[in-house]
Amino acid sequence: MRMRMLRLFVGAIVLAAVVVFAVSSTFVSDYGRVLLLCAYMLVGGSLRSRLDQQNRTSLDTVILVAVYPLAGPAAAVVVSAANSLVQRRGIPLMKRAFNGAQFVLSAAVGGLVYDLAGGPVGAPILESPQRMVLAGTLACLATLVVNALLMSTVLLLDQGVSPLKSMRYAAAPTLLPLLGYGCLGLLLAVVWIGGMGFAAGLLILVPLVVARWALSQYEAEKQAQAATMRAFIEVVEAKDLYTRGHSERVSAGVGLLGKHLQLSADRQTALQHAGLLHDVGKVGVPTSIIRKPGRLDDSEMNAIRLHPARGVELIGNIPFLEEVKSAVLHHHEKYDGTGYPAGLSRENIPYFARIIGIVDAFDCLTSTRSYRPARSVDETLAILVQDKTTHFDPELVDAFVEVIRSQGWKAAAADQPAPDGSVQAIDHDDLSLGSSGGASGSAAGPV
Amino acid sequence: MSQSSELDESRRLGSGIVLAAAGCAIGLVAVFLTARRGVTEWPFAAVFGLLIAVGETVQFRVDGTRNRAPIATSAALGYVMLRGPALHAPPEVAQIVAVTGLATLAGVFPRAIAGLPWDLVISSRRVLSVACAAITFVLITPEDFAWNGSWTHAIALTGAMLLGVLSAGVVDALVGAGQDTEKFNRPFPSALRDELVVMTRIGLAMGISGMLLAAGTSLIGLWAVPLVVVPLLLTQFAFRRFASAQRTYRATVRSMARSTEIAGFSSPGQNARTARLAVAIGNDLGLTPARMEALEYAALLSGVGQLALADPSPGGASLLRTREERQRAAEIGASVIERSGVLDHVAEIVRHSNDPYRQGRANNADIPVESGIVNVALAYEQLVGEGSGQSPDKAMESVGLGIGAEYDPVVVESLRRVIGRGFRF
Repeated sequence: MRMRMLRLFVGAIVLAAVVVFAVSSTFVSDYGRVLLLCAYMLVGGSLRSRLDQQNRTSLDTVILVAVYPLAGPAAAVVVSAANSLVQRRGIPLMKRAFNGAQFVLSAAVGGLVYDLAGGPVGAPILESPQRMVLAGTLACLATLVVNALLMSTVLLLDQGVSPLKSMRYAAAPTLLPLLGYGCLGLLLAVVWIGGMGFAAGLLILVPLVVARWALSQYEAEKQAQAATMRAFIEVVEAKDLYTRGHSERVSAGVGLLGKHLQLSADRQTALQHAGLLHDVGKVGVPTSIIRKPGRLDDSEMNAIRLHPARGVELIGNIPFLEEVKSAVLHHHEKYDGTGYPAGLSRENIPYFARIIGIVDAFDCLTSTRSYRPARSVDETLAILVQDKTTHFDPELVDAFVEVIRSQGWKAAAADQPAPDGSVQAIDHDDLSLGSSGGASGSAAGPV
Repeated sequence: MSQSSELDESRRLGSGIVLAAAGCAIGLVAVFLTARRGVTEWPFAAVFGLLIAVGETVQFRVDGTRNRAPIATSAALGYVMLRGPALHAPPEVAQIVAVTGLATLAGVFPRAIAGLPWDLVISSRRVLSVACAAITFVLITPEDFAWNGSWTHAIALTGAMLLGVLSAGVVDALVGAGQDTEKFNRPFPSALRDELVVMTRIGLAMGISGMLLAAGTSLIGLWAVPLVVVPLLLTQFAFRRFASAQRTYRATVRSMARSTEIAGFSSPGQNARTARLAVAIGNDLGLTPARMEALEYAALLSGVGQLALADPSPGGASLLRTREERQRAAEIGASVIERSGVLDHVAEIVRHSNDPYRQGRANNADIPVESGIVNVALAYEQLVGEGSGQSPDKAMESVGLGIGAEYDPVVVESLRRVIGRGFRF
């Protein structure tokens, strides 16, 4: 049913685009300039296959916006059609047809707006620049809005994504940047008419390329940062074979919960960083204590209890959100105030710390330890629910249970060493142990 | 990249004072001349002055080296190259310098009040290079030569603008290279090469944006200003995000390095001291910025492999351990760093950072010189660094005994120069 709707919709869009194109092409007069602009669009289109989504549309938009004042709305429709000739290979035919058609229609609506707003075409733009700037900006805005509307409709029909969601997450964040870079298109027209002609495009390209360079560097730095933190965490975890991958899994788990709680993008990233780094202070705990078989005495337990503070000491200089640091410091607090280091209770425990506390305990219980095999996910969820008033924020536990029930959990890999019956060691995160371990009360399983 | 001994501090100010004084002097003369002759086309002067001031206020730091103000630079260069038909009387050189200088001061002022980092020397450099661009452009372009829509005029003006922008860029690169040589004791040619590389990136974008601003404003008046400034603001935003991601990343690597101190494998500040010395040697040898960065990270992270070893030996001095143990730690450290997937070059440096010269670099050209630098820096720090407290001369003598066998002769010579110039931890 939905598929048929989709086909119908795309067919209608393509038909409309063809009609608009046919009508517009009869209005085109300055063939030389239009051909040059088509060449621009072709070059821009073939460049874009190597660019990511956001940048490629910026190049298309800049060229399209330049066409309105240079050759008029009808020419813009013709030039926009050239764009559909150079699409990435391997895209299904229907998608290609839609991409081309929606760009033509967006260009047509933009042209209509440009005309209605009294935008000048050709040499007059130098006489009345204010009208060109106004009409050009409105036309650019109209193009982007039509593009967003068509895109979200097709997403709704194809994948059932709610239009509000696709507008909010895909279209809205790119609107202002695209509108801003659209200004370069108007400037291109001015400099072109001012005598520089075809060569004006080269000048315009430079700021765009440099902006793209900065964006790609930003992405590269962010990835380097994430990769470096992961590698570092692996070293810390190398101290104990049983906790391998624990931090990564906690990071993934708090990520799931954070998405469910609809955190903002910044806080979501911060939460995942905090999840990854929560045990980083273990690097300051002697390996002999971490690996020690059997129960720990008080001084050894105290050494372990220092790890949140060590962690904060270590990451204190990294310009994270403050919430990351407080989460690392307080991830062993308990809801009833019996945790460490500060004995905070209830809402006094930082939000991120409460989240991490749950996922931390959950991953520990579903992993193998030297003194016990891994528990099943269902069993562990039951333990969390049992403990939800003493150890954890009850609301967050409910949310977490819901998330895990609906999305599943990829528990610790099977390459962990098998439990050794003769060993009685303690993981400080372990809920299934008495007070010298992590928890007490109903969660205390067979030791 | 900082050396903080008092000797360096006083030397660092040397050319900075000259530059700031020159900038101020030229600015004062220009203001005086302009005041006598009167300002021509004051709306343009006001708008461009405002742009420069705002651009100066929102400057930021990228590449970890110095503050940049792309909007201010583009606006100043744009003001230099204004012509008809929009302007009947293009600004004269004195007026250009006066507007740039006053606007720069006005832009720095709020930063100074708000306690944000600012640098009068960098700002003076901008005034100087803008003056150069103005002189070049005005000399080769007759005052009545305007944009008239013809192809020939456009090409001639574009050529003149390119020359003006290039002259500004080259002057700034020369001054910058001179300052780097003075501050970090880099060889002048490699400092100049690095400055020119930077110029082809952000410098090119600023220059071309300045040209677009000039051409657009000359053609349609002040309506062109938003058309250039809005995309420039977006680009600056992209650069700021890049710069902040870079800062976070650097801080992460530093924190990672400090973990060996928290774990008790090295004394507090040891990694930072080693890195500072390694950077000083790298500067002395004129490594490119990319290699300098890798060198700094490698020096910081050289001990990270110890984390995977057993618990620390008391005191933590890695010179006390056996060579085999140190090499094994280096190997583990390298594989850890490699696992991040983004620091391969750093891993390579760390892997060979404990190889003696005779069995390493002497016969294997693939081992980077940076490994030799880290090796020497580690050894020297062990001898002089806090606690062990040998005098620099004594330590230099010990290191000198290992020349050729243990340590790379090129690096030891460089260390001798660095120490001789007064480098102290």
